[in-house]
Amino acid sequence: MKQAIRALAIATLILWILLIAFAITAVYSVMNLGINFGETQFFSSNDNVVLSLPFSINNQGYYDISELNVTTHVTDYNGTLLALSETFVPLIASGSNVETAHNISITLTDILSMGYTEFLFNDSSFELDTFVALNFAHAIPVQISMNLTIPWGAPFSNLSIEYIPPENNTLVIPLSFENHSFFDIVGTLRLEVYNNLDELVISEQSSLNVSSHGEYDEPFEMYLSIGDLSKLTENGNLRLVFESPMFTVEQWIPYG
Amino acid sequence: MVNENSKKSFIKKMVPNVFKAAVWGVITYVLVGYLPTLLFPIDFLPFGYGQLFDLFVGIAVFFAVITNLFSGTIFGYAFSIARALIMIIYFIAAFNGGIVSLTMPLREFTVSIVVDVKAFLTILVLVNLLGIGKSLLQVTGFLAKKVEADKLN
Repeated sequence: MKQAIRALAIATLILWILLIAFAITAVYSVMNLGINFGETQFFSSNDNVVLSLPFSINNQGYYDISELNVTTHVTDYNGTLLALSETFVPLIASGSNVETAHNISITLTDILSMGYTEFLFNDSSFELDTFVALNFAHAIPVQISMNLTIPWGAPFSNLSIEYIPPENNTLVIPLSFENHSFFDIVGTLRLEVYNNLDELVISEQSSLNVSSHGEYDEPFEMYLSIGDLSKLTENGNLRLVFESPMFTVEQWIPYG
Repeated sequence: MVNENSKKSFIKKMVPNVFKAAVWGVITYVLVGYLPTLLFPIDFLPFGYGQLFDLFVGIAVFFAVITNLFSGTIFGYAFSIARALIMIIYFIAAFNGGIVSLTMPLREFTVSIVVDVKAFLTILVLVNLLGIGKSLLQVTGFLAKKVEADKLN
């Protein structure tokens, strides 16, 4: 009996020491965890807009961090999922430093195909839900979640187009907009004039290069032939088509 | 005369116990309540956990004093078992059944953290159960010894 009690007492004491040591070293390790966030970068590639969140984790604690998984959901104000991004770091060993970036890629053509052309013409905001899951010391799963609202600047904000009846066979249509987005608008802009029978009267194309947070304010000047003038009616529609490697968008504006 | 003798022997028995209880009370307070605050500032603990830490120190010191005060009696073992049971309840309550969640505002967004400490909590409970097992064996040994002594007398 005495031996059994002594064995149990020793076992209990050892377990308590191990538990307390683990608790102290775990707290110490968490305190010595250096998490740094770099400057958020926006860049565009092909038809993608990429929001890059660089971060580094300097694990100067005693325990490994494993299976770090960063997931981001980008939703619109209605809660519709626009983009889903994931970054996985298999292991951040004790005493090591890991530098990586969480890239949130938004395909503009996909968004436009979902009928979200309003994002191109009106400033809005996105909801960014971020979930971070990790395994601390291969024993303690941790989940961190945060949500924030990020403003979205429309590339064709405050679009203004005015139809002025032709004078001296010249049709002058002033066009202006502000690029509130974080990317430059580079592409071609085509303006088509349709009469009330939906017949194309005339079209004009010009190249466009508006820097981020820049303004565009230039009129379209179109010279009408006698045939064009005869087709032109007092009312109809203007079709504005913007084409770029990132996306293609069109807007119909009635006139008259 | 008999009463005076038993009183004397009781006091004789109790004086070292009182001394032992006082010493263990101080040692426990230093180990459990004072040293951790030197290692980690109390502000490091999230809101609400400061009070739970104080409660833990209170329980640990109270039972260190009371078990030592009644050591060598059946009450000492009973208090040991009670300490282990209260610690189990305390740990389950403090760790919220193994899922600790915190929500804190950070600049313009809110961060919520969920820590799954079920494995750690299970080990804590098992160690306390082991302590109960040890106390039960001790109390059995104590009673067996007492019965043996009574029979011999």
